[in-house]
Amino acid sequence: MASISPPIARSSSPGATSSTAGTVELRNVRKAYGNFVAVDDLSLSIQPGKIYGLLGPNGAGKTSTLRMIIGIIVPDLGQISVFGEPLQRTHKDRFGYLPEERGLYKKMKVLEHLLFLAQLKGLSGPEALKRAQSWCERFELNAWTGKKVEELSKGMQQKVQFIGAILHDPELIVMDEPFSGLDPASTVVLKDVLLELAKRGKTILLSTHGMDQAEKLCHSICLVNHGRAVLEGDLNQIKAGYGSCNVQIKYDGDARFLQESRLVQSCNDYGNYVEVHLAPGADTQELLRLASAGARLSKFEVMEPSLEEIFIAAVSQPAVSQPNA
Amino acid sequence: MRNLWLIIKREYLERVRTRSFLILTLLLPGIMTVVMLLPAKLATMGDKVQHLVVVTSTPQFGEMVRQRFLSPSTDTDDDEDANSGANAAKQKPDQKYVIDVDANPTEAERAVLRDKINSQAIDGYLWLSEDAIASGKVTWVSRRMPYFSERSRLSETLNQVIQYERLTKHGLSGDEAERLLKAIKVESIRMERGREAKDSGGGKLLEVVVMVMLLYMAVLLYGISVMRSVLEEKNSRILEVLLSSATSTELMAGKLLGVGAVGLTQILVWVVMAGVFALPAMAMQPAFSELQIPPGVLVAFAVFFLLGYLLYSTMYAAIGAITTTEQEGQQLQFFIIIPLVLSVFMLAPVVRNPDAATMVWMSMIPFFAPVVMYARIVVQTPPLWQIALSLLLLIATIAGLLVLCARIYRIGILIYGKRPNLPEILKWLKYAKA
Repeated sequence: MASISPPIARSSSPGATSSTAGTVELRNVRKAYGNFVAVDDLSLSIQPGKIYGLLGPNGAGKTSTLRMIIGIIVPDLGQISVFGEPLQRTHKDRFGYLPEERGLYKKMKVLEHLLFLAQLKGLSGPEALKRAQSWCERFELNAWTGKKVEELSKGMQQKVQFIGAILHDPELIVMDEPFSGLDPASTVVLKDVLLELAKRGKTILLSTHGMDQAEKLCHSICLVNHGRAVLEGDLNQIKAGYGSCNVQIKYDGDARFLQESRLVQSCNDYGNYVEVHLAPGADTQELLRLASAGARLSKFEVMEPSLEEIFIAAVSQPAVSQPNA
Repeated sequence: MRNLWLIIKREYLERVRTRSFLILTLLLPGIMTVVMLLPAKLATMGDKVQHLVVVTSTPQFGEMVRQRFLSPSTDTDDDEDANSGANAAKQKPDQKYVIDVDANPTEAERAVLRDKINSQAIDGYLWLSEDAIASGKVTWVSRRMPYFSERSRLSETLNQVIQYERLTKHGLSGDEAERLLKAIKVESIRMERGREAKDSGGGKLLEVVVMVMLLYMAVLLYGISVMRSVLEEKNSRILEVLLSSATSTELMAGKLLGVGAVGLTQILVWVVMAGVFALPAMAMQPAFSELQIPPGVLVAFAVFFLLGYLLYSTMYAAIGAITTTEQEGQQLQFFIIIPLVLSVFMLAPVVRNPDAATMVWMSMIPFFAPVVMYARIVVQTPPLWQIALSLLLLIATIAGLLVLCARIYRIGILIYGKRPNLPEILKWLKYAKA
């Protein structure tokens, strides 16, 4: 699906830097530890109901950024606002946080632990119990609810931690490397749950250094490197901005559509297979209509640059690039 | 408030539910009883009957020494009928000694006695020849060193007998001499709120020592528990999850109060156990039945004990916050033990002179206040403003330390590995603003 749809089509709010208040807004945020600048002049905007990925290599400042957003640490400079208001302590109950380094009380029983975490977020005891049981069922933990945390495997502890972060049904879910350490099956369950939560209108912010995962899951991203935003905004727009787009076409018949200089800048034709380098501003759909008018197509694929390629390209540029600004 | 309560509850239940809590709570009183009774038992166990020989040229003199040594007049402890001349006769003679009188103070006899000591026929002899008495220096030769109490008992006996001798030689009758020799006893009476209170100084000291012991135990048992749990939260990284829900001050205060409640529960159980098992036995002992603790002192005990416990636990929490391993933490414990030990050293001077300027100031310093101010209250109620000031300073210190701790604690999530030095801690405190 994604391969044919035009880049712009999915974006709901084109101007990420426009005045529409996101669930989370960071403006020129800076955080330094002594001489080490972890986050430098970072601005980003996270729209409600979206999955937002904070990407970058290790030590890029992702964790510091997330910690500032949920108020564990305070920025040296800049503003952070959530739900349209400056960040306050009272917002804590509306966040769910999964830190990168998981931590639970080892001696506590799983169910008790979940209840404790949920009650800290203001959930009533009976309600917390009901939800905890249903989540444990979903993550296949119900046989373990009476066991102590230390008796669980690492992966199971991760699931407990994840449930703890979402049990109170938070509006904003912040997850630091949620997929690290999970087996493939659990990864799928977690991904499904995240998508489901986003569908229910929850805003999800996750950090990862796995570009693949982010590319599949996120609506918007922020690429950070050395504490600075390299790229920020709607994923498709970013790709379009980097879209020296190529299209691969397998065809049988009339190849006249390759002559359309309005759409095709150059091409490499093998007779029934062609790699088209699109002209700037060309609409892939127009090319598709034109091609299918004269030829039988067995393949039409828009070759977007991968996030990884974009990241490498962006990092090699000196200034912050905001393609949608 | 909601969070604080949840955290207190969690900390409390986690500890109270453990098996080790149950075992410690039930067994410690037994162990303590054994520890307290054993030394006294051991001290008397090895004592055999001592067989001594008094060597003197006048048998009557030796006989008097023998009688008085075996039945010392007890006018130091006894209030009534000390004037009765037959006092000594009424006392049961001491069963721990057998004393013979030897009227042959010659060198040959001395050699014989030495042999007897070697062959264990006797345990020792007292050389009371005319020369020795005239020189004012007599010798006690025995196989073991005489106890301090034995030595002072002997010298008292000899002084009395010799003075009695001298007085009767100057023509006084035995009764007259006895009356002259009667020791004067000082009875101390303390004025407390306009009433006379008979002062059993021992009882006062006991009250203070009980408090200090309890404080010590509570601080050592539960202070370390606080430190350990702060370290656990930092090392298991649960701290970060908790901080997304609660403030570090809530976490810290909840932990201190929760662990504090555990300690109090334990002490309460012990007090009840003591009430059920030990009090009936104690009531038989006159020293304890005399001990009446006024309600004001009980209140002071509760207040200063609680605050002292909180203060020292907070210090333990601070150590937990700046270290990363328990070993490191234990090295720093030193800073907590020192003020505790110093307060104990101050006990004797406080009880002796509670209103001395130094003691007044010491009772204002928060680290010593729990012990010193409490001791002052026990001995003699100090001016109200002093108590109030001391309490105020103590509470302010606890609160200040708590906030400081909470800040360091929160910054703790950012560091691993090496223990920070002072400049680094100060720098963190700056980062941790707001």
